Amino acid sequence: MAGLLIKDFINLRKNVKIFASFTLIYGFMAYASQDTSFFSTIFTILCTILTLNLYAFDETAKWDSYALTMPVSRDNIVQGKYLMMLLLTLIGITVGALFALLLHFTVGVGSPILGIRNCTIGGGVAILFYCIALPFITKMGVEKTKYFLLALYIIPFVGVVMLIKTIGNGTVELPGELINLAQYLLKNIYLCMIGVIVVALGISYTLSINIYRKKEF
Amino acid sequence: MSETDAINVSNIKKSYKDFTLKDVSFSLPKGSIMGFVGENGAGKTTTLKAILGLIRIDDGKIEVLGSKTGELNNTVKEQIGVVFDGSYLHDSLNVHYVNIIMKNVYSNWDDKVFADYIQRFELPKKKIIKEYSRGMKMKLAIAVALSHHPRLLILDEATSGLDPMIREEILDIFLEFIQEEENSILLSSHIISDIEKIADYVTFIHKGQIVFSENKDNLIYQHGVVRCRKEEVQNIDRSMVAGIRENSFGAEVLIRDKEAFERRYHQFTAEKTSIEEIMLFISRGKERL
Repeated sequence: MAGLLIKDFINLRKNVKIFASFTLIYGFMAYASQDTSFFSTIFTILCTILTLNLYAFDETAKWDSYALTMPVSRDNIVQGKYLMMLLLTLIGITVGALFALLLHFTVGVGSPILGIRNCTIGGGVAILFYCIALPFITKMGVEKTKYFLLALYIIPFVGVVMLIKTIGNGTVELPGELINLAQYLLKNIYLCMIGVIVVALGISYTLSINIYRKKEF
Repeated sequence: MSETDAINVSNIKKSYKDFTLKDVSFSLPKGSIMGFVGENGAGKTTTLKAILGLIRIDDGKIEVLGSKTGELNNTVKEQIGVVFDGSYLHDSLNVHYVNIIMKNVYSNWDDKVFADYIQRFELPKKKIIKEYSRGMKMKLAIAVALSHHPRLLILDEATSGLDPMIREEILDIFLEFIQEEENSILLSSHIISDIEKIADYVTFIHKGQIVFSENKDNLIYQHGVVRCRKEEVQNIDRSMVAGIRENSFGAEVLIRDKEAFERRYHQFTAEKTSIEEIMLFISRGKERL
């Protein structure tokens, strides 16, 4: 298991330069616009996108069939990928939050609380995305699922934008109970998000493990 | 399964849309090299994948070092070295990183043995795998397979596409490995000359079925080829014939038991044959074993 994680981190090393350049460019933009929240969220999400790269690297090398001849179980391979996804999200949140704090306390830009909150929400959304995507990737591979993944990003985004527009226009009137529920959920967004993530992770992981146990190479 | 067998495959079946493995059975005795031969698409890789638990079989039984496949535990996997037809390692890795990864995968990984193989194979340490030639990639894969002190090597077309010099070098390594009497090798290849050089046993698979699985020397010494006129073929007892090839000059008949044949038919001489010729007779000739 440790070998699998080390392999993933080694494979990601070439992304370090890209991320360093990204940090410099967007860091400057955050400083110039006096707003760190955009940078923090994007950084967290980009970090989690590296999980897709890891799947793609393994797929290109045909690594899984090779790894399964080593003292590594099928469950270990799935566990390794979920663990990497969570670790990358955590790294994204940490770096994004540190950046927000750094800019605030050194040059007085942005709100540190807002920065941390945005990173956390970005990380949470990314985890939820992967909870849906990973069982499909486990089944069909990154290459075959890429259009589905794109849709998975775009559809909720477009849906939310359209919903907000519709409500804003006043063309749809929402029932009072629904508004109350939405307000209650928003008030407890972090608690709700943790609950949803834990349940989604549990379901997603169980699905992926079952798919992978039956997979043939 | 006998305790003297490293691998025992018994009546395995696996069906795909366009291909079926039918009742594949053979045993690899410990301390020996088995050449697993057959044309492209005959079922060699499918059989090896079944042995390694990479595919689920529809029926049959497979035991590897005493453990059933599908339930191959890590202790057994620690004792197996596998080489596929490529390195299957990520292009961005170099020798140093491969060592770090494998050290954390195999509990019995030996840095020194790995370093020795890298030096012996003259593999560049700083180059990434993407910059390696095919020969280098295969050498690296073999170095990985040998650096955790395995008892069994399973090699799928590990020498295909390599030039004769590199193949010779790799075959020598396999012969060194087999000096340890508990060590065994299952080597799938369609390069028959490699098999003839190093194998103790030959298993021939054709269209998903095992045609024979025998001691190599017995195969070569027992079989013989008779060259005669086409009309003379019908005078030969069919039970002695393993295959017939006809051409514009006459016919060639592969005989199962050369000595018995010569005792019975004094007018014919059965010439010495080779594994390659036996395979060609069986896969392309008129009559089969």
